[in-house]
Amino acid sequence: MDSKLRKIYVPMSETAFYILYSLQQPQHGYGIGQAVKEMTNDEVSISPGTMYGTLSKMEKDGLIDLVKEEDKRKIYQITDLGKEVLKIELNRIKRIYKNSLGEKYYG
Amino acid sequence: MAKTKTQMKIFTIADYKEEEKWLENQHSNGWKLIKINLPFFYTFEKVQPEKVIYQLDFKEKEATDDYIKMYEDYGWQHLGYYLGWNYFRKYESAAISESDKEIFSDTESKIEMIEQVFKTRMLPVLTIFVAVMLPNFCGLDKLDFSPSEIVFTIIYLVVFALYIWGIIHCGIKLTKMKKELEK
Repeated sequence: MDSKLRKIYVPMSETAFYILYSLQQPQHGYGIGQAVKEMTNDEVSISPGTMYGTLSKMEKDGLIDLVKEEDKRKIYQITDLGKEVLKIELNRIKRIYKNSLGEKYYG
Repeated sequence: MAKTKTQMKIFTIADYKEEEKWLENQHSNGWKLIKINLPFFYTFEKVQPEKVIYQLDFKEKEATDDYIKMYEDYGWQHLGYYLGWNYFRKYESAAISESDKEIFSDTESKIEMIEQVFKTRMLPVLTIFVAVMLPNFCGLDKLDFSPSEIVFTIIYLVVFALYIWGIIHCGIKLTKMKKELEK
């Protein structure tokens, strides 16, 4: 991963994290929004402007790929590069969580 | 046929929040936006007064089908694309939560839109100003001031003044909005 991507996505925004995380399964924008609402019990909601902009950017940066277009909805899925970024981010979140409990984290 | 009215109102590229509020006010007074013809000319149709949310999204290129579809999935009606702006409307009764009333859910995306406006609107305008308006202005002293040239010069000066006002107004306002969001 190049340093430019690292700068943008490590750490990434909450919105970006939930979108990338959700795209481990193929999904379209609105579907991602619904899934995120569901898993966060409505705590995190992503509006269409933010969703569309983030998806476009992530596609451009190669983190996600367009799988197909169905009924005018673009369906995306995470790429290998995206998985790599997600893994780094997940480790970071785990570390923060462990540390917040007063525990050490060894990756 | 429903009663309609056309009203002129000037909003610059930095006044989109005011434009949204104005359209919401019109609708709550029973005037529903049906189209924008020329710049600054809004046509409304007489309807039941209702609380409706209007939102504007800036995009350099014309809206694509998938873009409109995503907004529709979220319950936003796409009213059209005009001079870089996509106009959206949602009836307040259809919004299930506060976050459902806005097209942007985080600060980053709001800032990004302002940066887009800056890059694709302000920069070209500034370039024209420096490359065309300014050299012309500096050449004004070479005129021989015949009557037709005086008329031309006055028109030119008015345009020049408006141009400067526009650049300063939009520049300051967009920068302020961005700073406010970055706080």
